[in-house]
Amino acid sequence: MESKSCNNFISYVELEEHEMQPLGSSRRNSLSENNIKLLPGESFVTKAQNVLMFSPVSDLNQGTSGILSVTNFKLTFVTTDETNGDDVARQQNHLYGYMDTCLTNIEDIYVTVGDKKRKLLPGNIVPSKNLRTWSFSFKFSPIGDGKNLLQALLHYAFPNKHDLLFGYDYQEAYYSSLDKAVRLFRDISDWHNELERTIRNEKFRKFWRLSTVNVDFKLCRSLSRYIIIPASITDSQLIDAAKRFQGNRPPIWSWSNARGAVLVKMPELLPLVTNRIQENIMFENVRKSHPQKMPPVVLELNKGISVKLIAIAFSKFASLCSPENIRQFWLQDNNFYSLVENTKWLKYVSYCLQKAVEACEHLHLGLSVILQEGAGTDLCCIVSSLVQLLLDPYFRTINGFQSLLQKEWVAGGHPFCDRLGHICKRTSEKSPLLLLYLDCVWQLSQQFPAEFEFTETYLTTLWDAAHVSIFDTFIFNCEKERVAAATDPDRPLVLRSVWDWREQFNEQDILLFDNPLYNPHEADSKEKRVIKPLYNVANLELWNQCYFRWIPTLEIHNGGQNHIELYARLLRNDMNQLKMSINGNCCSPTDKSNSCSVQMNIDSFYPFSNRKSGNIVSTPIMNSSILATKSLLEAQSLITATD
Amino acid sequence: MEKRSSAELLNIEQNNSKNASSDSLNSDSKSSSLNSKMGQESESWDKASHSKSFSSSSTSTDNNIVSALEARKDNQVKNLSAGETGPPLLNGERVQGIAHEVTYVCPYSGPVRGILSITNYKLHFRSVDRETPYVVEVPLGVVSRIEKVGGASSKGENSYGIEVFCKDMRNLRFAHKQENHSRRDVFEKLQQYSFPLSHKLPLFAFEYSETFAENGWNVYEPIAELKRMGVNNDMWKISKINDTYSICDSYPAVWAVPAAATDEDLQASAAFRSRGRLPVLSWIHPESQATITRCAQPLVGVGGKRSREDERYVQLIMDANAQSHKLFIMDARPMPNAVANKAKGGGYESEDAYQNAELVFLDIHNIHVMRESLRKLKGTLVCVTNDSTESLRLAYRVTFSNLLELCFPTIDEARWLSGIESTVWLKHIKYVLAGALRIVDKVENHKTSVLVHCSDGWDRTAQLTGLAMLMLDPYYRTIKGFEVLIEKEWLSFGHKFQQRIGHGDEHHSDADRSPVFLQFMDCVWQISRQFPNAFEFNEHFLITILDHLYSCRFGTFLFSSERERVQEQVKHKTVSLWSYTNSQLSLYKNPLYWAAPNYQLVLMPIASMRYIKPWKSLYCRWNPSMRQQDPVYQRTREMLVLKEQLEKQLEEGRREQASRASRSMTSPAPPRIHSPVHS
Repeated sequence: MESKSCNNFISYVELEEHEMQPLGSSRRNSLSENNIKLLPGESFVTKAQNVLMFSPVSDLNQGTSGILSVTNFKLTFVTTDETNGDDVARQQNHLYGYMDTCLTNIEDIYVTVGDKKRKLLPGNIVPSKNLRTWSFSFKFSPIGDGKNLLQALLHYAFPNKHDLLFGYDYQEAYYSSLDKAVRLFRDISDWHNELERTIRNEKFRKFWRLSTVNVDFKLCRSLSRYIIIPASITDSQLIDAAKRFQGNRPPIWSWSNARGAVLVKMPELLPLVTNRIQENIMFENVRKSHPQKMPPVVLELNKGISVKLIAIAFSKFASLCSPENIRQFWLQDNNFYSLVENTKWLKYVSYCLQKAVEACEHLHLGLSVILQEGAGTDLCCIVSSLVQLLLDPYFRTINGFQSLLQKEWVAGGHPFCDRLGHICKRTSEKSPLLLLYLDCVWQLSQQFPAEFEFTETYLTTLWDAAHVSIFDTFIFNCEKERVAAATDPDRPLVLRSVWDWREQFNEQDILLFDNPLYNPHEADSKEKRVIKPLYNVANLELWNQCYFRWIPTLEIHNGGQNHIELYARLLRNDMNQLKMSINGNCCSPTDKSNSCSVQMNIDSFYPFSNRKSGNIVSTPIMNSSILATKSLLEAQSLITATD
Repeated sequence: MEKRSSAELLNIEQNNSKNASSDSLNSDSKSSSLNSKMGQESESWDKASHSKSFSSSSTSTDNNIVSALEARKDNQVKNLSAGETGPPLLNGERVQGIAHEVTYVCPYSGPVRGILSITNYKLHFRSVDRETPYVVEVPLGVVSRIEKVGGASSKGENSYGIEVFCKDMRNLRFAHKQENHSRRDVFEKLQQYSFPLSHKLPLFAFEYSETFAENGWNVYEPIAELKRMGVNNDMWKISKINDTYSICDSYPAVWAVPAAATDEDLQASAAFRSRGRLPVLSWIHPESQATITRCAQPLVGVGGKRSREDERYVQLIMDANAQSHKLFIMDARPMPNAVANKAKGGGYESEDAYQNAELVFLDIHNIHVMRESLRKLKGTLVCVTNDSTESLRLAYRVTFSNLLELCFPTIDEARWLSGIESTVWLKHIKYVLAGALRIVDKVENHKTSVLVHCSDGWDRTAQLTGLAMLMLDPYYRTIKGFEVLIEKEWLSFGHKFQQRIGHGDEHHSDADRSPVFLQFMDCVWQISRQFPNAFEFNEHFLITILDHLYSCRFGTFLFSSERERVQEQVKHKTVSLWSYTNSQLSLYKNPLYWAAPNYQLVLMPIASMRYIKPWKSLYCRWNPSMRQQDPVYQRTREMLVLKEQLEKQLEEGRREQASRASRSMTSPAPPRIHSPVHS
């Protein structure tokens, strides 16, 4: 019996790589019960024998037989088919395998009897939040196995308390290898530095101050400990004002441009507050903090869009992206364009981009912009992040992008736990705001392929990672909850940042996060490179990799847009080699210390391919994590020097 | 609470961009393919960054390079032009009429005053009231119909003039002064030279002369192309039975047939096929010898006639492929249409009569359905992108910002996707692609030969065989190979370009017109989107071909068959489009092209609506608000240049080293594992 572990994917990674990467494999091998690999702290719950797993979007006639098991972390399918897992070129996660899904990733469970589909009660179709649908049949299982398994699944996949998430049980010791350049905005220094970075002009900076009024979360539970507010407001004024606003949140600073115009996130007044004085006082304070005392522009983000509408749009859109069988797939194909339009998903993507462009136009004219919405923790996060991506090239680097997510979303108090639906609570409003944001970013990366340091694979992986309950980044609603969990005297949660990608992936996969077309433009960094996207629906595209990757019918064999990336990666490697040769040090690509390989015959969803590629052709290249940007830069400066 | 309306913002935007003179709807270059001044949104908020941000915007300068190069070329031509103010002229082009004080009513940037000139080749408008001249240029071959708008007594500004409807989706509106019949002369000249055949004038291609470095008429040699595929061989032979076009007047003089077939077989089969278009070879698989053959429908009729000779001949085609004992007959039509054709004496092969043959209907509709679909597509895109007459008429009176809103109404923007869908254009594309894919699947994966036909075998059949060959054979994905493919499957096998396009003919609503070739090119574009590295040419090449499909500057797409072209001495009297394209190949090269051996030999694109997209850079190219170009190309080109410079530098360094230590050995070459770039 074959069970899957990273070591099976040998042809993909060179041998040396494996010796360097014992972490993942050893971890998964550490405990084994019933032929499934368990993580430290992971425990086996139950299993069903002789389960049939159907291939996705098929005619549901043929399946693979295997054992389906539930642990407190994942649903895992171990097949008796020896060949499975071999020769497959796809992203490998240290924490779970291709035939596993984290329980937190389970959206719903359906049972199908004949043509009818029933929700939630013991079922055999399991749609994931990342649009992958698993279909199983217990027809050949021993009587009772299916029922037991489903009951366990229902119990473990939909926890009603936060500390039932697997992150609390995970026993693996954590040694952070997180890049220091990723700023988590948990410490005061990050805020201080950000203020200095964005407002170079000291005169302008004096209009804003770093306040510690919320250091004990007394002002507002959803805000971080440190906030930046107009210098003209005292802490006590702020406490007074906050009471009138939703979520007890005062307006806070997000970003400034060189002219001193700022971007501010602000909640709406509480519904019962009719007196708008406090709101006007806040407007006035923002005005006073403008170098020319210009009144700010207020952009309301609550017209025709809401957290709930986004959730509805996405659930329609998701069903379009995960057809139940091949018949439905082709039926949808007949009027796919209008079906997409009816979901309104692209309309909301367009809306967010449009608001961001509007805000940028005001900021460009030197006017401060206040983004206002409900509690200021949802659409405000999307739009403020987008504005900063458009105006500040730093945020288009990988570390910058991660820092931005920390600043605007994590520290900004976006209720990740509620929105991603980690906990089964009736009061929590589930809605994929993060995905909407990632989709917007993807649209930008399509329109400006040389402006972003990361690839779409990075963005897709990030969306997947949001459903892995091991990392603290996306499992809390706010910093206060995170601090409480981490400092719990009985059972402190080890905080693992999702940005520590080596916890999940090896160098080979992390390499695919690097956009080979990226042009950092350091040489002319005096002016910030601004990008201005087109936002109307006619200029938007569907994010094929993220939304269609589980539909094998849509995988273009040996083709797809990712071949552009592949081509550019090899081109860049050529350039790096040339540069090395020019500098006189001949670096052989077989040099173990810094070699990775690039797979050549990739299909369009690579590295999320469904298909087993027959024979994998790969080419070694230099590890570009060190070389990618720097050497190119040097190369570029070399060329300008010779001119 | 919002301090500014978006309309105001648009105004601000527009003012900012004025100094960039970016609002020209030009088609300056002769190829008129891409709009060099489309960079409307290429200005960024920071003017400082604008100057250097050539890759920062969605509309990169990709094609500005192209236009710049072409402009340079055109300057040479300009020397021949009449005077300073007149339009630049090609060799053989003469100014026929000039109208001063004309207003061009631009749907995007408002009315422009200037001079309108008509030559025997083009319409040329040049502004007089702007610092950077605003130029509109349209080859008259592109004009589909011309109408007078308003009368001498019409009220309102710009209400009296001429409206020109183009085959490339543009509608141009010129306003004239309402006195002295100011538009009469220009209108008459426009009529005459747009539709020369209706006015007993020659097509411009017969007056135009220019010498190019390469003679495009030599691109396609039928025998050389058959030899490339290995014919003659044991199974297939070249036949010259049609060298006087006596067997079939719409077929070429040279073709390939099964070696076992006698001339009598061919004659008998031709007699049983519509218009004598018997099955002949299109392509042969280099390994399996499975073939694609093409023909017209059999003349079965209501009575269910049979022809033993035709049946035997089809059997010979099957036998020529030793790998399979089966033959697929792909009938491009929907089955009901094939049945209906029996009433007109046509029909389809019965599986009883044709042993071992399996008949498949591919559900592709006829030319009339396609024409309607394109008309709707134009309607949809026009709503969002162009000046529908309705909105224009209103627009005359409103201000600039409102005009923008009218031309890009939010309501249409919101229904963009369903609007596209309702045209069914993309659905037709999908069926054509799916049909070609089935052919490829049979030939490549099942080693089975395929016989393709529709009714007459010159529209849908050409689409299907052309696309299948493009997917199967990387040669056709090179620039010259693609030219050969068009010459062979479209021109030599008698696609009726004259009727389908209506060169020089004023009957714009002629039922024989249909965008069949455009649809083929759209399919090629769709495949190139799914396989960005597989094609040597870029989309600018495809658009250039389409522009000259209408322009009548070159002889390539004139007439409907090889016989007619020979008769009219097209090769001697006109210039080939390929002379023009092949002497400036660098413009049409895809920087991502990657011709590694065994890399993407056979392309199997996915014919799903999820991947089939409106070709905006063709259909919406006149609209500055649409994203037109692929910045990936620009960036890749930059990287290629950078790499080239590094190579040069390395080479120099090595030479220096070699000269320094001339007696000792030079250092070994750096390891080059894989180079994606082919010089």
